[in-house]
Amino acid sequence: MSVSRRDGRTGQDVLRRVGEASVLILISLADGPKHGYALIQDIKELAGLELGPGTLYGALDRLERFGLIEPLPAEDRRHPYRITAPGAAALRVHLDSLERLSAAGRLRLQLGGI
Amino acid sequence: MDGPRATRLVEAVLRCYPARWRRRHGDEAAELAALLIRDGTPVSSIAWSYLAGAAREWLTSRPGRRLSTVACALLVAACSLGIAAGLLPATAPARAASTSPAHGRVHCRPGPVPGVIPALDYSRVIIWGAWHGRSC
Repeated sequence: MSVSRRDGRTGQDVLRRVGEASVLILISLADGPKHGYALIQDIKELAGLELGPGTLYGALDRLERFGLIEPLPAEDRRHPYRITAPGAAALRVHLDSLERLSAAGRLRLQLGGI
Repeated sequence: MDGPRATRLVEAVLRCYPARWRRRHGDEAAELAALLIRDGTPVSSIAWSYLAGAAREWLTSRPGRRLSTVACALLVAACSLGIAAGLLPATAPARAASTSPAHGRVHCRPGPVPGVIPALDYSRVIIWGAWHGRSC
């Protein structure tokens, strides 16, 4: 199932419901292809969160089904993945959405004087 | 847990995944587990993560499986409700008319219902009892 088939409208935040692990994987892949172990290490450094291997493969399969990432030819026993153009677009929309939410939250805290 | 035992545990857990998944990710998943164990990740947490992943994989591995599961569940629920609804008119009046409280297993004993073949009536009571969590 690709993102374009699922959500025809452009600018829609398709990552809202895919889960935190999927978003972290996309962020990790944004600067270049990585395989499973490299992804776990990178996300640990990036977010301080250690993804379980079962969670990782579940999220990778889901992202691949949505057409947001794609596997590259295997290196030894490892399968590197890279983010696709729709994946990068979806990540951009999601990050914009988070930024707007974050700004609104900060503003409300300010207005509330907390 | 020592190396060979940890490896065996991980391999056993990986066998819980569907064959299609194992063909695709099996080797890499085993290698990833070995690297994580080497880094000091507890084997139990790796095994648990893979076990939960395997359960998710079985539930969502095929497109349409979720839909068919829901359809089956609805069918079973509808049949069960139909059986229960069909039994209520036959059993409720008899129970409502009774002035003495049911003791022991007496209430489960099938009584003669006019127009109902005794064998069929007995099977109905068994199903009714099972539906209402009673053992007769």
